[in-house]
Amino acid sequence: MFMCKDVVENIMEYIDNELDLETLKTLEKHTGDCPECMAFVNTYKRMLEITGKLKDKPFVTPEIRNRLKILLESKIKPI
Amino acid sequence: MEIGFIKKLINVIVSNESKSSATDEELVSTYLRTGDSAAFNELISRYADKVYGFALRITRNTSDAEEVFQEVFLILTKKLDTFRGDSKFSSWLYRVTANSAYMFMRSQKKHENNLSLEGYSPYDEEGTLMGKIMYKDWSSRPDLIVFNKEAIKIIDEAINDLPESYRTVFHLRDIEGLSNDEVADVLEISVSAVKSRLHRARLFLRDKLSDYFYDWRK
Repeated sequence: MFMCKDVVENIMEYIDNELDLETLKTLEKHTGDCPECMAFVNTYKRMLEITGKLKDKPFVTPEIRNRLKILLESKIKPI
Repeated sequence: MEIGFIKKLINVIVSNESKSSATDEELVSTYLRTGDSAAFNELISRYADKVYGFALRITRNTSDAEEVFQEVFLILTKKLDTFRGDSKFSSWLYRVTANSAYMFMRSQKKHENNLSLEGYSPYDEEGTLMGKIMYKDWSSRPDLIVFNKEAIKIIDEAINDLPESYRTVFHLRDIEGLSNDEVADVLEISVSAVKSRLHRARLFLRDKLSDYFYDWRK
Protein backbone atom coordinates (compact mmCIF):
# COMPACT_ATOMS: atom_id res chain seq x y z
CA MET A 1 0.00 0.00 0.00
CA PHE A 2 1.32 3.44 -0.98
CA MET A 3 1.83 5.60 2.10
CA CYS A 4 2.76 9.23 2.82
CA LYS A 5 6.23 7.86 3.58
CA ASP A 6 6.51 6.71 -0.04
CA VAL A 7 5.69 10.21 -1.30
CA VAL A 8 8.41 11.66 0.94
CA GLU A 9 11.01 9.06 -0.03
CA ASN A 10 10.26 9.43 -3.77
CA ILE A 11 9.97 13.21 -3.82
CA MET A 12 13.37 13.87 -5.45
CA GLU A 13 12.72 11.47 -8.30
CA TYR A 14 9.22 12.90 -8.64
CA ILE A 15 10.51 16.48 -8.94
CA ASP A 16 13.21 15.38 -11.40
CA ASN A 17 10.71 13.36 -13.52
CA GLU A 18 12.67 10.17 -12.88
CA LEU A 19 9.85 7.96 -11.58
CA ASP A 20 8.63 5.02 -13.61
CA LEU A 21 5.10 5.47 -14.91
CA GLU A 22 3.47 3.10 -12.45
CA THR A 23 5.04 4.72 -9.37
CA LEU A 24 4.25 8.16 -10.77
CA LYS A 25 0.58 7.32 -11.20
CA THR A 26 0.36 5.78 -7.73
CA LEU A 27 2.09 8.77 -6.16
CA GLU A 28 -0.16 11.28 -7.91
CA LYS A 29 -3.25 9.27 -6.97
CA HIS A 30 -2.12 9.32 -3.33
CA THR A 31 -1.32 13.06 -3.28
CA GLY A 32 -4.69 13.74 -4.97
CA ASP A 33 -6.42 11.97 -2.10
CA CYS A 34 -4.12 13.12 0.73
CA PRO A 35 -4.10 16.86 1.51
CA GLU A 36 -1.09 16.39 3.84
CA CYS A 37 0.97 14.99 0.98
CA MET A 38 -0.28 17.65 -1.42
CA ALA A 39 0.85 20.31 1.06
CA PHE A 40 4.17 18.50 1.45
CA VAL A 41 4.81 18.41 -2.32
CA ASN A 42 3.76 22.04 -2.81
CA THR A 43 5.86 23.42 0.05
CA TYR A 44 8.83 21.29 -1.09
CA LYS A 45 8.62 22.83 -4.57
CA ARG A 46 8.30 26.35 -3.13
CA MET A 47 11.32 25.74 -0.91
CA LEU A 48 13.38 24.88 -4.00
CA GLU A 49 12.21 28.08 -5.69
CA ILE A 50 13.39 30.13 -2.70
CA THR A 51 16.79 28.45 -2.50
CA GLY A 52 17.17 29.07 -6.24
CA LYS A 53 17.17 32.79 -5.42
CA LEU A 54 20.50 32.33 -3.64
CA LYS A 55 22.23 31.26 -6.84
CA ASP A 56 23.51 34.58 -8.07
CA LYS A 57 24.12 36.21 -4.73
CA PRO A 58 27.22 38.44 -5.05
CA PHE A 59 29.90 37.94 -2.41
CA VAL A 60 33.10 39.50 -3.65
CA THR A 61 33.19 43.22 -2.98
CA PRO A 62 35.68 45.49 -4.77
CA GLU A 63 37.71 45.51 -1.51
CA ILE A 64 37.96 41.70 -1.43
CA ARG A 65 38.89 41.68 -5.12
CA ASN A 66 41.53 44.35 -4.53
CA ARG A 67 43.10 42.45 -1.62
CA LEU A 68 43.32 39.38 -3.89
CA LYS A 69 44.95 41.45 -6.63
CA ILE A 70 47.56 42.81 -4.21
CA LEU A 71 48.26 39.31 -2.88
CA LEU A 72 48.66 37.77 -6.32
CA GLU A 73 50.90 40.59 -7.54
CA SER A 74 53.13 40.16 -4.50
CA LYS A 75 53.39 36.36 -4.76
CA ILE A 76 53.36 35.26 -8.36
CA LYS A 77 56.25 35.12 -10.72
CA PRO A 78 55.50 35.36 -14.42
CA ILE A 79 55.41 31.88 -15.95
CA MET B 1 50.27 59.17 -32.08
CA GLU B 2 46.52 59.25 -31.89
CA ILE B 3 46.21 56.51 -34.54
CA GLY B 4 48.72 54.35 -32.63
CA PHE B 5 46.78 54.80 -29.42
CA ILE B 6 43.51 53.92 -31.12
CA LYS B 7 45.04 50.76 -32.67
CA LYS B 8 46.34 49.72 -29.25
CA LEU B 9 42.94 50.36 -27.69
CA ILE B 10 41.21 48.30 -30.39
CA ASN B 11 43.67 45.43 -29.77
CA VAL B 12 42.89 45.48 -26.06
CA ILE B 13 39.13 45.51 -26.70
CA VAL B 14 39.34 42.67 -29.25
CA SER B 15 41.58 40.68 -26.91
CA ASN B 16 39.19 41.18 -23.98
CA GLU B 17 36.19 40.22 -26.09
CA SER B 18 37.89 37.00 -27.19
CA LYS B 19 38.65 36.27 -23.51
CA SER B 20 35.05 36.74 -22.48
CA SER B 21 33.82 34.39 -25.22
CA ALA B 22 36.50 31.74 -24.58
CA THR B 23 35.65 28.58 -22.67
CA ASP B 24 37.19 28.03 -19.24
CA GLU B 25 39.42 25.34 -20.68
CA GLU B 26 40.63 27.68 -23.45
CA LEU B 27 41.49 30.33 -20.87
CA VAL B 28 43.44 27.79 -18.82
CA SER B 29 45.31 26.67 -21.92
CA THR B 30 46.09 30.27 -22.94
CA TYR B 31 47.37 31.14 -19.49
CA LEU B 32 49.55 28.03 -19.27
CA ARG B 33 51.02 28.57 -22.74
CA THR B 34 51.60 32.31 -22.64
CA GLY B 35 51.16 33.51 -19.05
CA ASP B 36 48.52 35.92 -20.35
CA SER B 37 47.25 37.69 -17.25
CA ALA B 38 44.04 38.72 -19.04
CA ALA B 39 43.12 35.03 -19.37
CA PHE B 40 43.76 34.51 -15.65
CA ASN B 41 41.79 37.63 -14.75
CA GLU B 42 38.87 36.37 -16.79
CA LEU B 43 38.89 33.13 -14.78
CA ILE B 44 38.89 35.18 -11.58
CA SER B 45 35.95 37.25 -12.84
CA ARG B 46 33.97 34.13 -13.67
CA TYR B 47 34.64 32.24 -10.47
CA ALA B 48 35.36 34.75 -7.69
CA ASP B 49 31.81 34.72 -6.31
CA LYS B 50 31.44 30.95 -6.71
CA VAL B 51 34.73 30.20 -4.92
CA TYR B 52 34.03 32.69 -2.14
CA GLY B 53 30.43 31.51 -1.77
CA PHE B 54 31.46 27.87 -1.47
CA ALA B 55 34.28 28.71 0.96
CA LEU B 56 31.83 30.71 3.05
CA ARG B 57 29.36 27.81 3.02
CA ILE B 58 32.03 25.49 4.44
CA THR B 59 33.68 27.87 6.92
CA ARG B 60 30.55 29.93 7.80
CA ASN B 61 32.84 32.85 8.59
CA THR B 62 33.62 35.73 6.23
CA SER B 63 37.26 36.27 7.21
CA ASP B 64 37.97 32.51 7.04
CA ALA B 65 36.21 32.39 3.67
CA GLU B 66 38.40 35.20 2.35
CA GLU B 67 41.56 33.37 3.44
CA VAL B 68 40.39 30.27 1.59
CA PHE B 69 39.37 32.38 -1.42
CA GLN B 70 42.85 33.90 -1.62
CA GLU B 71 44.51 30.53 -1.15
CA VAL B 72 42.49 29.00 -3.99
CA PHE B 73 43.56 31.63 -6.53
CA LEU B 74 47.13 31.46 -5.27
CA ILE B 75 47.03 27.69 -5.85
CA LEU B 76 45.70 28.38 -9.33
CA THR B 77 48.72 30.50 -10.21
CA LYS B 78 51.02 27.68 -9.12
CA LYS B 79 49.16 24.48 -9.92
CA LEU B 80 46.86 25.23 -12.81
CA ASP B 81 48.94 22.81 -14.86
CA THR B 82 47.64 19.96 -12.68
CA PHE B 83 44.20 20.49 -14.22
CA ARG B 84 44.14 17.72 -16.80
CA GLY B 85 40.74 18.33 -18.30
CA ASP B 86 39.31 14.99 -17.08
CA SER B 87 36.41 16.94 -15.55
CA LYS B 88 35.00 20.38 -16.18
CA PHE B 89 37.23 23.21 -14.97
CA SER B 90 34.43 24.39 -12.64
CA SER B 91 34.27 20.96 -10.94
CA TRP B 92 38.05 20.93 -10.53
CA LEU B 93 37.96 24.43 -9.03
CA TYR B 94 35.20 23.53 -6.58
CA ARG B 95 37.30 20.54 -5.51
CA VAL B 96 40.34 22.77 -4.96
CA THR B 97 38.12 25.13 -2.94
CA ALA B 98 36.70 22.32 -0.79
CA ASN B 99 40.16 20.87 -0.12
CA SER B 100 41.58 24.30 0.73
CA ALA B 101 38.69 25.02 3.08
CA TYR B 102 39.05 21.67 4.86
CA MET B 103 42.81 22.20 5.23
CA PHE B 104 42.21 25.69 6.58
CA MET B 105 39.66 24.44 9.10
CA ARG B 106 42.05 21.71 10.24
CA SER B 107 44.93 24.17 10.57
CA GLN B 108 42.74 26.42 12.72
CA LYS B 109 41.57 23.41 14.71
CA LYS B 110 38.01 24.34 13.83
CA HIS B 111 36.25 21.02 14.04
CA GLU B 112 32.59 20.59 13.37
CA ASN B 113 30.48 17.80 14.77
CA ASN B 114 29.18 16.24 11.61
CA LEU B 115 25.84 14.93 12.79
CA SER B 116 23.84 12.57 10.65
CA LEU B 117 20.41 13.48 9.34
CA GLU B 118 19.81 9.99 7.98
CA GLY B 119 16.87 9.42 10.30
CA TYR B 120 15.39 12.83 9.58
CA SER B 121 11.90 12.53 8.12
CA PRO B 122 8.54 14.25 8.52
CA TYR B 123 6.37 11.10 8.70
CA ASP B 124 5.41 9.15 11.83
CA GLU B 125 6.13 5.52 12.72
CA GLU B 126 3.16 4.37 10.65
CA GLY B 127 4.55 6.20 7.63
CA THR B 128 1.88 8.91 7.53
CA LEU B 129 2.04 12.69 7.56
CA MET B 130 -1.28 13.04 9.38
CA GLY B 131 -1.53 16.41 11.12
CA LYS B 132 2.09 17.33 10.45
CA ILE B 133 2.20 19.35 7.25
CA MET B 134 -1.10 20.86 6.20
CA TYR B 135 -1.64 23.22 9.11
CA LYS B 136 1.66 24.89 8.24
CA ASP B 137 1.04 24.91 4.47
CA TRP B 138 2.47 28.15 3.11
CA SER B 139 2.75 27.12 -0.54
CA SER B 140 -0.10 29.31 -1.76
CA ARG B 141 1.23 32.48 -0.18
CA PRO B 142 1.86 35.26 -2.71
CA ASP B 143 5.35 35.52 -4.24
CA LEU B 144 5.81 38.90 -2.58
CA ILE B 145 5.67 37.19 0.83
CA VAL B 146 7.40 33.93 -0.08
CA PHE B 147 10.36 35.61 -1.78
CA ASN B 148 10.84 38.39 0.75
CA LYS B 149 14.36 39.18 1.88
CA GLU B 150 13.80 37.76 5.35
CA ALA B 151 12.60 34.40 3.99
CA ILE B 152 15.69 34.19 1.78
CA LYS B 153 17.86 35.10 4.79
CA ILE B 154 16.11 32.44 6.89
CA ILE B 155 16.80 29.74 4.32
CA ASP B 156 20.42 30.90 3.94
CA GLU B 157 20.89 30.61 7.72
CA ALA B 158 19.05 27.27 7.79
CA ILE B 159 21.45 25.92 5.15
CA ASN B 160 24.31 26.94 7.46
CA ASP B 161 22.62 24.98 10.27
CA LEU B 162 22.94 21.80 8.23
CA PRO B 163 25.79 19.46 9.16
CA GLU B 164 28.78 20.11 6.89
CA SER B 165 28.46 17.02 4.69
CA TYR B 166 24.83 17.92 3.88
CA ARG B 167 25.57 21.64 3.56
CA THR B 168 28.20 21.19 0.86
CA VAL B 169 26.02 18.81 -1.17
CA PHE B 170 23.02 21.12 -0.95
CA HIS B 171 25.08 24.19 -1.88
CA LEU B 172 26.64 22.62 -4.96
CA ARG B 173 23.48 20.88 -6.16
CA ASP B 174 20.65 23.28 -5.37
CA ILE B 175 22.37 26.64 -5.27
CA GLU B 176 25.18 26.24 -7.79
CA GLY B 177 23.15 23.91 -9.96
CA LEU B 178 25.70 21.11 -10.44
CA SER B 179 24.42 17.68 -11.47
CA ASN B 180 24.49 14.76 -9.02
CA ASP B 181 27.45 13.32 -10.94
CA GLU B 182 29.36 16.61 -10.74
CA VAL B 183 28.72 16.97 -7.00
CA ALA B 184 29.93 13.40 -6.47
CA ASP B 185 33.05 14.22 -8.49
CA VAL B 186 33.78 17.43 -6.56
CA LEU B 187 33.27 15.92 -3.11
CA GLU B 188 34.72 12.54 -4.04
CA ILE B 189 31.68 10.63 -2.79
CA SER B 190 29.24 8.30 -4.53
CA VAL B 191 26.22 9.55 -6.45
CA SER B 192 23.96 7.62 -4.07
CA ALA B 193 25.55 9.48 -1.13
CA VAL B 194 24.88 12.78 -2.93
CA LYS B 195 21.22 11.86 -3.43
CA SER B 196 20.79 10.65 0.13
CA ARG B 197 22.33 13.78 1.69
CA LEU B 198 20.45 16.08 -0.66
CA HIS B 199 17.17 14.39 0.22
CA ARG B 200 17.64 14.81 3.99
CA ALA B 201 18.93 18.37 3.58
CA ARG B 202 15.85 19.36 1.57
CA LEU B 203 13.49 17.78 4.14
CA PHE B 204 15.26 19.69 6.91
CA LEU B 205 15.07 22.99 5.01
CA ARG B 206 11.42 22.55 4.04
CA ASP B 207 10.62 22.08 7.73
CA LYS B 208 12.61 25.19 8.69
CA LEU B 209 10.76 27.31 6.16
CA SER B 210 7.42 25.93 7.29
CA ASP B 211 8.24 26.88 10.87
CA TYR B 212 9.25 30.36 9.73
CA PHE B 213 6.09 31.02 7.73
CA TYR B 214 3.91 29.53 10.47
CA ASP B 215 5.50 31.74 13.14
CA TRP B 216 5.35 34.73 10.81
CA ARG B 217 1.57 34.28 10.38
CA LYS B 218 1.10 34.32 14.15
